[in-house]
Amino acid sequence: MAKDIETQKAPPDALEASFPTKRMHLNLGPSHPAMHGTVRAVVDLDGEDIHSMKLDIGFLHRGFEKSCEGVTWTQVFPYTDRLNYVSSIMNNVGYALAVEKLCKIDVPDRAKYLRVLTSEMHRMCDHLTLVGAMGLELGAMTVLIYAMEARDIIWDRLTEICGARLTSNYARVGGVARDLPPGWGEKVLKTFSRVTELRDEIDKLLTRNRIVIDRCQGTGVISREDAINYGFTGPCLRATGEPYDVRKASPYLVYDRLEFDVPVGSRGDNFDRYLMRMEEMKQSDRIVRQCLEQMEPGEIALADYRYVLPPKPEVYGTIEGAMAHFKMIMEGIKVPAGEAYSFIEAANGELGFYVVSDGGGRPYKLGVRAPGWNMLMALPQMLEGQLLADLIPTFDTINMIGGEVEQ
Amino acid sequence: MAEETKPPAPAVAPPKPALPAGPPPPKNPGFVTFTIDGREAVVKPGTNLIEAARAVGVDIPYYCYHKRLSIAANCRMCLVEMSNAPGGKLMPACQMTAAEGIAVRTDTAKVKDQQRATLEFLLLNHPVDCPICDQSGECKLQDYYMKYDTRASRLQSPKVEMRKRVPLGPLVVLDEERCILCTRCVRFMREVRKNPQLGVEARGNHSFIVAFPGHPLDDRYSGNVVDLCPVGALTSTDFRFRGRVWFLSSARSVCTGCARGCDVFLDYMRDTTYRYRPRENEAVNQEWMCDQGRLSYKPFNAKRVEQARVGRAPGRMATRAEAAAKAGRALGVHAGQGTLALLASPVASLEDLLVSLFVARDGLKLSDVYVGGRPDGWQDDFLKRADENPNRKGLELVARALGFSVKPAAELAAAVEAGSVKAVWAVGAELPDPRLAAILAKAEALVVQATNESELTAAATVLFPAAPTPESDGTFVNFEGRAQRFEMAYWPRFDAQPHWALAGEVGITLGLTARWPTARDVFEDLGRRVADDLPGYRWDSLPSISRRKSLVPLAAGTVDGRLPGYRERMPLDGSGNVVWSRLPSR
Repeated sequence: MAKDIETQKAPPDALEASFPTKRMHLNLGPSHPAMHGTVRAVVDLDGEDIHSMKLDIGFLHRGFEKSCEGVTWTQVFPYTDRLNYVSSIMNNVGYALAVEKLCKIDVPDRAKYLRVLTSEMHRMCDHLTLVGAMGLELGAMTVLIYAMEARDIIWDRLTEICGARLTSNYARVGGVARDLPPGWGEKVLKTFSRVTELRDEIDKLLTRNRIVIDRCQGTGVISREDAINYGFTGPCLRATGEPYDVRKASPYLVYDRLEFDVPVGSRGDNFDRYLMRMEEMKQSDRIVRQCLEQMEPGEIALADYRYVLPPKPEVYGTIEGAMAHFKMIMEGIKVPAGEAYSFIEAANGELGFYVVSDGGGRPYKLGVRAPGWNMLMALPQMLEGQLLADLIPTFDTINMIGGEVEQ
Repeated sequence: MAEETKPPAPAVAPPKPALPAGPPPPKNPGFVTFTIDGREAVVKPGTNLIEAARAVGVDIPYYCYHKRLSIAANCRMCLVEMSNAPGGKLMPACQMTAAEGIAVRTDTAKVKDQQRATLEFLLLNHPVDCPICDQSGECKLQDYYMKYDTRASRLQSPKVEMRKRVPLGPLVVLDEERCILCTRCVRFMREVRKNPQLGVEARGNHSFIVAFPGHPLDDRYSGNVVDLCPVGALTSTDFRFRGRVWFLSSARSVCTGCARGCDVFLDYMRDTTYRYRPRENEAVNQEWMCDQGRLSYKPFNAKRVEQARVGRAPGRMATRAEAAAKAGRALGVHAGQGTLALLASPVASLEDLLVSLFVARDGLKLSDVYVGGRPDGWQDDFLKRADENPNRKGLELVARALGFSVKPAAELAAAVEAGSVKAVWAVGAELPDPRLAAILAKAEALVVQATNESELTAAATVLFPAAPTPESDGTFVNFEGRAQRFEMAYWPRFDAQPHWALAGEVGITLGLTARWPTARDVFEDLGRRVADDLPGYRWDSLPSISRRKSLVPLAAGTVDGRLPGYRERMPLDGSGNVVWSRLPSR
């Protein structure tokens, strides 16, 4: 063999000659660091080009929808925390709105503001996570560190409200769990000035970075039509030029009282999707500040014993409160029979909850429309013919979250 | 003289004035037709509005009304609007009967207001007891508060305090603060029991339920007032503070206290029975049961035979398979010799007896069955029978179907004493006379299948742990010949198996080939022999309740229409120990 190689002479046009490749299957994940969310991608490679790919999901499946049928309406909230676990309050709020739609109840103003405020803070966390992880996987470790710092100090503020960094369990049917601690608003503003610094730093590091531009611009492209047909929502849809945002198209809570812009891209590639996130963080910042200004003191939950637990002095001191508490805890709130679909703009797009009640204390059926599912479904098409290396930023920017895609 | 001034009666009566136009003829002759909340109801004349509404699917709340008691109309919870009420007053639906063509409304603001006001008054002096109250979870106050009130308390002054623990009798404790004075208990004692031991003392706000001085509530059916009490005022000394009802599940069972076989709910948690509650059956017990029967679940929990044993006590613990082999040999050597006898207990189920007698006939060539069972007790003309065995009739049917002659246990004792019987197989260790145990103990071989430890089990040369009623499916035939199914509540405790499974194991060591995976298979196979004696009886007459959306919410603390703890029907240890057909020893 060695002799053969020695005697072989390179042809004169060797550099222009096509490189002989062979097809191979590559298993990416489920435990690959770039496949966060525990997904397995079976990539059919032709050299370095992706010929086709298949996605194997289900490694994070835990029967969310079915589990919800076994617990009371209120006990579902902690389960929703585990859907998109980076922005759990938005899941809480989405589910609460669906149940409230079925109950035909409206929550107090302050609760609405609190829901919006915390949701937008979690939206920032979600986007920071995406940007940081994308930076890391494109080789920019510093970005991740900056993003994590920003995310952590936001989480610190949210912890002061709901007691948990990740699994917030903050919303309730009829309101929210707790009011803001005193002096919290000022702390948030202080936090946000640091977050802004970090965000700008990340912006400087990435947005005009040659490597990032080369790797993201023109990769993972999806057209506006395809995106709509696949059911894209959220930043991934807006990156293609479709200006659809649930907060504007069908305003819920107090979004109609707030001023904010919806960034829209044009190319539908990884870079546009990244830019959407950077801009939305700024808009969330605006929304939070407006909420803090507009919010007035008041009730944070309905005073309705059918749906909201009575205050503890009532529970311990009066039989009415004790009974209401007992019945709601042991049997669950009685949601009128019927079905409802409610949807909100979560960090990655339209998060929908479909709930069916038989009039009892537990959901008869519950379904989730996870925004990440549609993007994930389009991934093979987006990557066909692209380089294997492009899979990484594309998987990052569609921001598929295993917790919600695999219900 | 006044009579004289009276004008003379006219010779001819003046023509009668024309009668006012009578009511229109009934829409459905023989029935009363009217509307409730716009729904047309057609009921028999004399039906009260609560029952009529129930028939068309309208719920009218009530506390004091009970269909088997007289009408008191004192709780004011069932007030409804009726088109024929004088002055548009609200009328108690329990007391008012349906009239042709009227319109009844239960959903107007006026009615809702009244319901809320009634509840507010009932709860005004109600103590904050839910966390310590036994009724909590099956309490009508809680249910109706959430359904018809849900308003906060407006009480400013302290609540009226009354006595919290008044022992009315051996089985019943009264909490006067919780009582809403519906008088169901008073009416039950007076009307159903004809033994008026309870009354209401004092007036108005000071009223309370009382037993007469020096006369405790010692009626033999006193436990029923606890079931009747819609709130937590009357609690059972037996169940008091022992368990929370929302953790209990219910199985439809039959009381094993006497030959009446009252239908009961057997409330259990994990593998412990907590209480019996009567289950409605018009033909057997309406919805009552006696106190003795109510407490007859106790042996299911205590002093159980836990494991098979070889040799007289203390003996040696053995697997069921080893015990079955020993029993088969010990009994087999006497087969056909006339020195062997079968002692069967009428406490065992029909399926148990079918297999036992089948094995005794085909495996051991026996044709006599000696009847054990508990001694006779008291009897009355209400429910309780003197025969305190639930299945004597079933034993007789099985014996006849399989060609056995039935003999009393005393004859067996005499035969053992005389030495003519050397080996005894006892299916069930209950004996009509406790002295018989010492005599039976003299047998060379004494194979006993028993649920509970007793003198007889101590003397057994081979002892099997048997499963009592809550741990098996089966049938009892009561003294009238009425077959009633009971369902398994939880899997057998310890190493226990139903009698039929144990007898089947013995049969296999004797060379029989018949196997039955479940009690249902036993009945399908052997039950045909007694089918003629049980007309209309279907083994599957109890549909499964292990599913959500069952038609009737059964459990005490039913949450959301599904049984709490129904998952506990699965084997706790996952050993598969409960699938009869997969038993290693078979």
